[in-house]
Formats: sequence, C-alpha cells, structure tokens
Amino acid sequence: MIRVLAILAAVSAAMAFAFYSGVFGSRAGKATPLHDFEAPFVFGRFQLPADNPLTQEAVELGRRLFYDPRLSGDNTVSCSTCHLQRLAFTDGKPTAVGVSGKPLAFNSMSLANLMWGPRRFFWNGRASTLEEQALVPIQHADEMAQDVDELVDELAGDETYRLLFDAAYGELSPTSIAAALATFERTLVSANSRYDQFLSGEVSLTEQEELGRKLFMAHPDTKASLRGANCIDCHSQFLTSGFKTRFDGFVNNGLDPEAELPAGLEEVTGEPEHRGLFKVPTLRNIALTAPYMHDGRFGTLEEVLDHYNEGIRVSSTLSPLILEASNLDAASDTAAEDRVSLNLTAEETAAVIAFLHTLTDMDFVTDERFSNPFPTE
Amino acid sequence: MKRDFKGVFSTTSACLLLVLAACADQGERESGVAVQEPSDVEETQGIVLLRGLPTLGTSHSVAIVELDPEAENFGEILTEYEYSGFEAPLHHLYYSPNGRLYSTGLDPQCSLAEVGLSRGATGAPVINGLECLDTQGQVVGEDIMWHSVNGTQYMFVTFMGGTGLDQADGGSIGVFDPQTNELIKIIEARKSQVGEGEPYIMYTHGISAYQDRMVVTSTVHPDLATGVGNAITIIDLNTLEPIENIVVEDAQPLGFPSSPVEVLFVRPSISPSATPSVLVNTMFGFEVWQVPYDEADKSFGAPEKVYDGAASGTAVPLEFYGNETELFISHALPGVVKRYALDSLPKLVPSGPDIDAEAGAHHMIFYSSASGRSLIAVQNNLLNLGDAADDDPTDVDFLAKVNDHSITVHDLETGERLASVNFKDRYQKGIENLEALFGSGFVHHH
Repeated sequence: MIRVLAILAAVSAAMAFAFYSGVFGSRAGKATPLHDFEAPFVFGRFQLPADNPLTQEAVELGRRLFYDPRLSGDNTVSCSTCHLQRLAFTDGKPTAVGVSGKPLAFNSMSLANLMWGPRRFFWNGRASTLEEQALVPIQHADEMAQDVDELVDELAGDETYRLLFDAAYGELSPTSIAAALATFERTLVSANSRYDQFLSGEVSLTEQEELGRKLFMAHPDTKASLRGANCIDCHSQFLTSGFKTRFDGFVNNGLDPEAELPAGLEEVTGEPEHRGLFKVPTLRNIALTAPYMHDGRFGTLEEVLDHYNEGIRVSSTLSPLILEASNLDAASDTAAEDRVSLNLTAEETAAVIAFLHTLTDMDFVTDERFSNPFPTE
Repeated sequence: MKRDFKGVFSTTSACLLLVLAACADQGERESGVAVQEPSDVEETQGIVLLRGLPTLGTSHSVAIVELDPEAENFGEILTEYEYSGFEAPLHHLYYSPNGRLYSTGLDPQCSLAEVGLSRGATGAPVINGLECLDTQGQVVGEDIMWHSVNGTQYMFVTFMGGTGLDQADGGSIGVFDPQTNELIKIIEARKSQVGEGEPYIMYTHGISAYQDRMVVTSTVHPDLATGVGNAITIIDLNTLEPIENIVVEDAQPLGFPSSPVEVLFVRPSISPSATPSVLVNTMFGFEVWQVPYDEADKSFGAPEKVYDGAASGTAVPLEFYGNETELFISHALPGVVKRYALDSLPKLVPSGPDIDAEAGAHHMIFYSSASGRSLIAVQNNLLNLGDAADDDPTDVDFLAKVNDHSITVHDLETGERLASVNFKDRYQKGIENLEALFGSGFVHHH
C-alpha cells in the first residue's frame, strides 16, 4: 500500500509539474486534432484534460505503447497482456497475472468508453485520472516491474518512439508516456452493440431481450406489481464506464459477510463506511469479460445472476438498494428474514442475461484501430 | 376567420425520461491534471429551431445556444446546422425515450424528421443532419407523444394538415414504429366523411394520453383561413379509432371558434393525488378548460372552464409544461407564464409569481445555472412573422404582436428576468422552438 501511494504521489507530482510548466501546452498546438473521431451524443459530454487533447499523434503513440512489452521490466508483459481486445480488453482470468507470475489482487477491468464518467479508476478507485492510472501497473513490482526512468531511456533509444513522442508531446518523459497511454485508451469507444443499434432504431430486441431490458431497468416494487432485476440502481452508467462524481458508483454488492469484507474503497478514503465497496464496472461487452467481480469469483453470467437472486451476503455497508429489493412482498416471502433475494424466476433471469448479451459490440473487439500495431507471427 | 395569412401555429411536446448519460461536471483539477471548464456543462444549453427570415436573407437552421445568464457567452450559438430546400422550417423538437431527437416540420416536404446528433473529438455535440421521414402524405407535423398501448410503445404524431392541405377538414394522427420510424397507421376521420354526429378528427395539434385513452385537439386549418376547430377528440387506443368529440368553447373573444391547441391528460404519473382529468388551452377562446375523466367506466364528463383569459387580461394560452412540483401555462399575450401547484390539479391553484416574459410566450425549459440557480427560459414567439414595414410577406396583422423573437431567462422562484437574447436582432432569424440540449428540459408536457 505504501508503495502504491508513493507511486501515485510521484505520478501526481509529475503531472502537476507538466501542467504548470506548460510542457503539454507548448506542444498542444503542434499535434493534429483527431478528425475522424465520432461518439454517440447520448453518451453525454466527456471530459478531457485540457493539456491532453485527443490528437492523431498521441493516439498512434499510445497504441504502440499499449502493445509494447518493453514497458515491463523484463520485456515480456505489455498493457495488452491483461487487456486483450478480443475480450473487450480483459484477460479471461479471475485476477491478472504479471511479470512476477503471482495472481494479482484484482480482476482486469474492461477498457471501453473511459472518457465518460469516471473520476476514479481501478476497482478500489485508487487513481483519479487515466494519466495517473497508466503508470501504476508499469511500476508495480508484480505487474510490469518497470522503472519509469529506465523506460524513458529504453524508448529514447528507439528512433520510432523518439519521432512519435516529439510529434505528439515534444518530449519523452514519464508524463508523456502516461498521457499517450491515456489518450489511446480514451479512443476505445464501443458504440455498436445490438443495444446501441436498438437505441438508434436500427434493430429491435427480441421478446426475451426486451423482457430482460425492462427487468434490468426496474427496481422491484411489489405494491405496484412491478418486477425488476434491480440492475439499473447501480449500473445506470452501464453503457459507458462509470459515474462522474468522485465516489459515486462504488458499491458493496453483497459478495462477502461482515467479517470477510475486503477494504475496497476504504483503502483509498480511510472511511469505514467504504469498506467492501468496489467500483461498479461498465456492463458493455459483459458477455466477453468473464470471470466477474473484482476478484473474478464468478465464472458465468448465470452465477452472477444467482448471486443477486439468492446469494447476497448481508453486511453493514451492503447497498440498501440491494438489501430491500425483492420481487416477493414480505408476507409471501417466508424466508425473507433470513436472506436477501431478488426472487426472480428462471425465465426472468434468462431474460436479463439475454439482454446483457445485447451489450456485446463485435466491431469494438475487432476494430483494427485498437489492435496490436506490431507485426505478429 | 377572414384573414388569410401564411404560417402555422406551433406547439410542442415532450418526452419523459431520456437515456442520455450525465453531462459534464464543473471544471475540476485533480492530481495536477486540468479538466475542461464549466463552459462545457450542457444542462444550460438549449437546442433551438431557427427560421430564416425572407427579408433578411437568412436560412432555417437547428442550433445549440448557451442559455446560462451567468456565462460570458450567454446567447451565443455554439453550433448550427443550416438546411435549405424547404420553404417552411422545422417546427417542434422532441427527444424520444431512447434519446433520439425528432422534429415535426411545417413544410409538406418534411413534416417529420429525425435529427442526427453526435459528438466530436472535443466532446462537443455535432448536429449531423436531418432525415425526413415518410409520413405517407400527412403534412404540417405538430406534436409527438410516445405512449404504450397494451405493452407496445408507439410514436404518435399529430398532423394539422392531415393527408392534404387541400382538405378543408383535414387532420390526422400518424402512428409510427418508434424503432424503425415506419408508419403503422393513419388515424383519420374527416368531418365531411363521417356520419352526422359521429366523432371526427380535424386540424389535429395537441395530444395527450392516459392508459388506453388519447385526447387530441382540433385547432385550426394550417392556412389559418379555411377553418377553426372548437373541440377535442377522444381516441380509443385499443382500436385506434375516435369515439367522442367534446366541445370546449364559451365566449368567442375574437369572433372565432375557440381553437383548442394544447391538451394535458392529468394522470397519476404527473400528480399522484390528482383525479385523472383533461386540461385544454383554447388559443382563440383564451381559456383553460377541464374535462373530468372517470377511470372506472372510461367516460368523460362535462367540460368546465377553469381559467378565463379575457377576464384575467391574458390571451392565446398555448403550452402546458411541468416540473416536479408545478404546472406552467404560457399565454402569448401579453407574454406571461402562469404557474400552478401540481398536487392541486386538476384545479388551477396558483403556486407562485407570474413569469413576465415577452409577447409570444410559448415553449419553455427548466434548468440550473452554473452556480445552481433554478431557471426557466421562455421562447417568445407564436409564429415567426416578419414586420409589414419590411415588406415581409409573412407579416400578419393579428399575430404581429406575438413574435418577440427572443428567449428570456428568469429566476424560477421569483420570476425575475435575468437575461434575454433576441434572435432577430442578433442572428437575423426567428426562433421557432426551444428544447433543452440535454434532453427534456421539463417533466410533464403531453
């Protein structure tokens, strides 16, 4: 933890220096604004650092860095090792494995639509910008174990990188490495799933998908005979990547009992009420990003739905929206006092899963602009 | 109605919930990284339909304008999409429940359109263009309402010209598939073609619905000369057929029929404590009417006048809008928005001071300034008619005083006017309609 904080502090200081010294500002006018970028209006206004706009040069550089194993200490692990495009930039493992070979603490998060919403990155929110986030795994002993100064020297020995950094940022530094990686990640826009096509009127959902959509969007209300899967309460930003306010979107979703609650957001804030809270992830491409949860404990979407339907563990920080969500009224739910359950039927569970599959964007996972730029065997 | 003038009356409508994602926060700097400034906040931006004025050589357009009176660029057009080829402009903007932007249109070549919106590399919205939709001959689009019937959602559009401007008693409702925009059915029942005493549909304009009952108004022929209506029509949504006409008319202060324009079916989703009932604004009667509804037997009672504009010094009531607590009604003359307690509906119990806008007070949106001040912006224009002194062919004596060409912005609580922008003075265009860029700038409208 101390090491992580030290890294964050160093990165923050570097970013602050870069900003105040005007390094980015001096090169911003040289680079070419990204002219072919288009995103759906309905995603909302996105935030960009004023000193790191989307430019063609930065995107090209960031993409190269993202796929380059030289970013790790032993030149074996790149960002793409744990963020595979075909898996919507996850790795299919319960928790990631880096250069040390040890399973890491967290499941690899999907990278999509990162410009919308989040002010906190990582499962426990320990980074507040993509730029800040980018250098953390590079320097983490178990992930990529790279000394950033050595990385700068290594990249400076590569003429291609020298040219790319000069064109994009006018300098090669830890700061510009982070900025380029963040810029590439920002261009990872997923906007052509069946659900996107539904929203734009190109397709209609099947009856089952439509049932799943309605359940997804509804908080159950037995008095109003409204059945719901209670998803939207936490996943209101499910098409993009999180909430815009600082710690909104961090939830204890009942994975563990009180005695076994992991620190979660508490590790960042020090607040006991944040114990066991983790970032609510995007659900975009969720069918491709198994296993699920911060520790990858669930292998399938069926297991996830089973958890919400009958596996909720009550603790002091459990989301109240989960605690009181049930499709059976208390009088008819004889076991209600002993357990928290959505009480969805099998048909409803299947419908929710069918809806979740509509969030898969095959264009996104095959888009050449996001692919490995290095020749592969 | 003797005068023969061009142009068409307007209205507007709404949608309830959008799927739009949250918009930008205030500018913030974390860990030394600067993020964008408050000017990128979109809740304070409006999307407007602007009408090119023939004597000023300007074109029709769709534009995004900053409406935060605290912003340095208040009133500035941030982006604009001009279009040509149509004599008459687009008329009313509506966001669908899925966040798609539509517009009705006055030109017979484009009576209904979908407006393309996207975002560029800076995050700023881009107006990509228009796609005129096939209405199968229905013209002069007015209001749009999305409503579910027996579990299936439809997009209902009123066409004041029905299936032809040459029809003296035209008027229709187009029922569209909200996904494909394909027309499913035209609801039409011309007075001259139904039997004596049978329910008819004519000059269709306002629209509202509750459960399986829809109410539309009979306003005025689009040429504003051929005829004027004085009734509402009840439509059974199970059969998509008209089942009843109810006349809402008393005095005729202008000597014309009352011309019901906008209608609001007060229902539990608007006011949980209210007994379902229908409110109707009569444009030429200057009145607001209430029609009781018995939910048990689905019958409508005798209409009752609940607001008399002639006695109250107001005229040409137009729109119903609501937020979470109040219902607002715009009156084009003298240019005022009156407000009522939502939980007292269908009774009109005043809930605050009038909002003194300008002549033509019409559409409105609700939002907050950058500092969090609650605001209402009022578009002041009934029709975008020019001035006869400029030899403007769109000038009309009767309506010449209801086109201030402005948006006025007021403190929502006090009604105090904080700022205004006159589109004719600043952009040489008239302003046809106003909607919040970030989705519905209101909660209740149709």
